[in-house]
Amino acid sequence: MLDLSPDEWTAIQLSLRIAFVATLAALPPGMAIAWLLARKSFWGKALLDGLVHLPLVLPPVVTGYLLLISFGRQGAIGAFLADTLGIVFSFRWTGAALACGVMGFPLLVRAIRLSIEAVDRRLEDAAATLGADKGWVFLTVTLPLALPGVIAGMVLCFAKALGEFGATITFVSNIPGETQTISAAIYTLTQVPGGDAAALRLVVVAIAISLVALVLSEWFARRAGTRLHGG
Amino acid sequence: MRLLSSIMGAAAAVLAGLGVPAAAQDNAITVFAAASLKNVFDDIDTAFARKTGRKVVASYAASSALMKQIEQGAPADLFASADLDWMEYGTQKKLINEASRVNLLGNKLVLIATKDSKIETVAIEQNFDLAGLAGDGRIVTGDARFVPVGKYAKAALEKLGSWSPAEKKFAFVENVRAALVLVARGEAALGLVYATDAKAEPKVKVVGAFPAGSHPPIVYPVALTARAKPGAAQYLAFLQSQEAKTLFETYGFTVLIRPTS
Amino acid sequence: MIEVDIEKQLGLFSIAVRFAATGRVTALFGSSGSGKTSLVNMIAGLIAPDRGRIVCNGRLLFDAKAKVNVPPHRRRIGYVFQDGRLFPHLSVTRNLDYGRRMGRLERDHQQWDRIIDLLDLHYLLHRRPGRLSGGERQRVAIGRALLMRPQLLLLDEPLASLDATRKAEIMPYLERLRDETGVPMVYVSHHAGELRRIATTVVRIDGGRVAAIGGPELLTVADADAL
Repeated sequence: MLDLSPDEWTAIQLSLRIAFVATLAALPPGMAIAWLLARKSFWGKALLDGLVHLPLVLPPVVTGYLLLISFGRQGAIGAFLADTLGIVFSFRWTGAALACGVMGFPLLVRAIRLSIEAVDRRLEDAAATLGADKGWVFLTVTLPLALPGVIAGMVLCFAKALGEFGATITFVSNIPGETQTISAAIYTLTQVPGGDAAALRLVVVAIAISLVALVLSEWFARRAGTRLHGG
Repeated sequence: MRLLSSIMGAAAAVLAGLGVPAAAQDNAITVFAAASLKNVFDDIDTAFARKTGRKVVASYAASSALMKQIEQGAPADLFASADLDWMEYGTQKKLINEASRVNLLGNKLVLIATKDSKIETVAIEQNFDLAGLAGDGRIVTGDARFVPVGKYAKAALEKLGSWSPAEKKFAFVENVRAALVLVARGEAALGLVYATDAKAEPKVKVVGAFPAGSHPPIVYPVALTARAKPGAAQYLAFLQSQEAKTLFETYGFTVLIRPTS
Repeated sequence: MIEVDIEKQLGLFSIAVRFAATGRVTALFGSSGSGKTSLVNMIAGLIAPDRGRIVCNGRLLFDAKAKVNVPPHRRRIGYVFQDGRLFPHLSVTRNLDYGRRMGRLERDHQQWDRIIDLLDLHYLLHRRPGRLSGGERQRVAIGRALLMRPQLLLLDEPLASLDATRKAEIMPYLERLRDETGVPMVYVSHHAGELRRIATTVVRIDGGRVAAIGGPELLTVADADAL
């Protein structure tokens, strides 16, 4: 079996924790924004859409730098959060989760938006006539029918979070046990003379995790799909 | 391992290739230099271009990252490292033109803090309390496992007996300039960088200097790579000129050789 | 008892309709494209008229001047759509129970049994909409709308997507609805034949305007599309 050192195990556990937290934290705002973009028209909609997609097109290091200046200890938002809520992102795994969540956010929103748009609005109308207000329509009709897309979005976000490197390392650097994810660990190992073997082991682990995530998501999505159309 | 090497080689080649302007720059010289050399080499490259009409394309990063890229086939003509280890590594792998090696520059290791930090002067002596100074903030420097400045820092602190208590407070970054930025921004309480870096950044102040005996001498060797183009020797010669010496000293480097022109 | 007095511009087509109906089944009879469905959508609250008033059983649902526009989920108006619109992710039972749950109404087992009987839904209860025939779907759609205990039931061409056999199958259920449930209905169709069996009042709609109001004697042709 793979003979992984404690540092490598730490990197794997940290990566998984960060990716899960990033995806779960991104889900509520992701769903809200996806719904807004799918169902509502308002002034500034194109701007919002553009902002959401920014992490997808900016170089990751730039995104990391922007996070640093806004969420770092001296950043406008970072200082406020640290002082009032005691939430610190600098050099902490929470910062890594924030970076990964931000990078995965556009993928999450896109997938959910597409699946909400695919839900027949006439069904939503029918639900309204049956007494469901907008919130209930969303929870009982739109969301269940959009579920395969939501799952797909979450998996994409998770995978992106798992593989994230540039923004994370720029924002919270590379601290073993705190912010050194699998990607950062692989990077470090490739810089150290003789670290290639260990790097390759971690690469194999990263691939395995991604494959498992993909297979699981396929299974969930398929199940959700049959629930919708099956009998 | 071969697969990983070839993938990284391809990536490095693409990256290096993208760094070099296309086609017509056949007589442009590609220089891979340690991050701490950025400001001074930029000036030297401009002077060189003015003097000889030849363009210099430079890539700055941690010496480790650069040597790894050269190992994967990146088309550098000259390598300027921040420590001897990485130049040795390159020589052993037959990537360096050993005959062209020159130990060109020296530097000092310093402890820095943000401009408006409460920390004033620190006496860097045996068992000085680095951990205490940092409080609940972080100390940044290059990764101690492979970035030269990080290696010097760890060596110095270990010799002074201050490494173990402070180890957990360290945040390692990819190169010395990244560390500099973090201290300048106030993200990190303290940083260990070169004296030349501290000099270049107005938002930090030097609060302590490491005694030269606490770490291996900081030496910047430069050399032509094994695959350097013939004209690159002209650049190497320029680095050893009086004009270059003046520039190096303005930035705070010590020049270890006698100028040849 | 429904009073409608509205105007709406829909692109190049305009609707201006005014009528009051008290009968058990008010038929809206007109050719395809005459504006019947838009009118019914306005009664349900899915579209808002440009001008006018809608009152149902004494309750003001819409008044442009007074800026009143009760949202569809509060109008207590059941709607049987032409395309059924059963929720594909829910079983027939959950579809039927949807309106009661959304309205937070008490369970009424008697009413449940009565309507299941009325529409012969027993053997369909555990199926999913995907496994129902067209006729079965429409019956479930009718049951779903009834089980929300509406003040008014709208039916928009409920038999349009069914073949002759299915239509013949369902007509008796609609007559039973009219006779046994006591819920007033507004029934939209372009088929005089259907309406003759079921309507008590007839409102003829033509080109977005009310052409005539009366009883079943207005249903002079077999099909309004022939008008």
